[in-house]
Amino acid sequence: MTAELLFSVANPVALLGWIGLAAAPLAPRAVDKLAGWVLPGGLSLAYAVLMLVHFADAPGGFRTLADVQALFTDVDVALAGWIHFLAFDLFIGAWIVRDSQRQGIAHWMVLPILPFAFLLGPAGLLAYMGLRLIRRRGTAQNRQATP
Amino acid sequence: MTDVAKEQCETADIITYYVVPLRADPILGQLALAMVLSLLLTVPAFLLDDRLFNGANVWLKPIKFQIALALYFATLTVYATWLPEGVMRSTKMRVFLTAVVVATIAEMLWISGAAMFATASHYNPVPLLYAIYAAMGAFAVLLTAVSLVLGMAFWRDRGSALPAPFRLSLALGLIATFVLTLIAAGTLSALPGHHVGTPVTGATVPFMGWSREVGDLRVSHFLATHALHVIPVIGLAAMALRPPRLARLAVWVGTAGFAALTLFTFAQALSGRPFI
Repeated sequence: MTAELLFSVANPVALLGWIGLAAAPLAPRAVDKLAGWVLPGGLSLAYAVLMLVHFADAPGGFRTLADVQALFTDVDVALAGWIHFLAFDLFIGAWIVRDSQRQGIAHWMVLPILPFAFLLGPAGLLAYMGLRLIRRRGTAQNRQATP
Repeated sequence: MTDVAKEQCETADIITYYVVPLRADPILGQLALAMVLSLLLTVPAFLLDDRLFNGANVWLKPIKFQIALALYFATLTVYATWLPEGVMRSTKMRVFLTAVVVATIAEMLWISGAAMFATASHYNPVPLLYAIYAAMGAFAVLLTAVSLVLGMAFWRDRGSALPAPFRLSLALGLIATFVLTLIAAGTLSALPGHHVGTPVTGATVPFMGWSREVGDLRVSHFLATHALHVIPVIGLAAMALRPPRLARLAVWVGTAGFAALTLFTFAQALSGRPFI
């Protein structure tokens, strides 16, 4: 019951951060604080507490893939794992937006990448890394603008 | 500097520079702050966890240690502001306090780890874990030694601007904390458990958890460790006395009295009688 409740709270918390990131040009500093510090920090705290309370009694472990699967049969550890995704994905999303601002990459170019980072974490990160590579090779003007 | 980096610096500045005692001694002050912040983990864990150890929520013990250590280090941070400039900044002191930071972190990881696995941090029957427990005893002595070191520094600081009875009470209070805690906690750890006798009904003092049926050595440990609060309060009160000789005498008498009370509760527990 507690796990279901926490799950239903954690999702909108992360979503709030992603909405903020999408609208980042409106208030870059506030969004960075929220999506890069406060929300991932809060989610990480929830993760840490869940692991402190439930990890010791959970089945499985990290040694084999079967162990990891067994570990996630525990509802509280599965919840912690989900919150781990939410926290780290959001943190990466905030890094993408922050980095793109520093590199002078237009927000509209980052915007289509954000849903990937939100829903498919590493795929979004990969897409942004690709964008960065292209931009660095392509625009000499951009390189001069950033020290 | 970018806006983001600048803002992060400003936040750090507020914590590091505007909290005055922290500026006087960053290591002790930050350690106190870290103990308070770590409650963000253990208090929610306490609320979520339904596992018990020796009849109490597994997280009660880490929480007690976090509160006690936060209070201890915060007090020492404030006291350190009354020492001469150089004392806290000397290389020897820095090295010593760094060792204290390591010992404190190790201690809290050990106690919280034991809570996480719902096992005993003190008196653990498993040999390996018992060996760690013994090492933690050495760390605990190191933590307590901070009060001895500061106490000695107050004792030596003859040119202090502090009123004489108050300086004396700080020196005696801090040194008494070390000596009495070593006696109480040392005995506590050498015995098989904190109870002397076998509780039947399990009646305890609220929150503190001291037995109301049998001897409980944690009472004298608690009093011993709070000598650094009680005796300076006696010193503040003694400042009202004239002549100064009488004020100093009052501090000595007050210290002796508090030490006697602590040793009385110690003997009381050893003989198997409850505190109240």
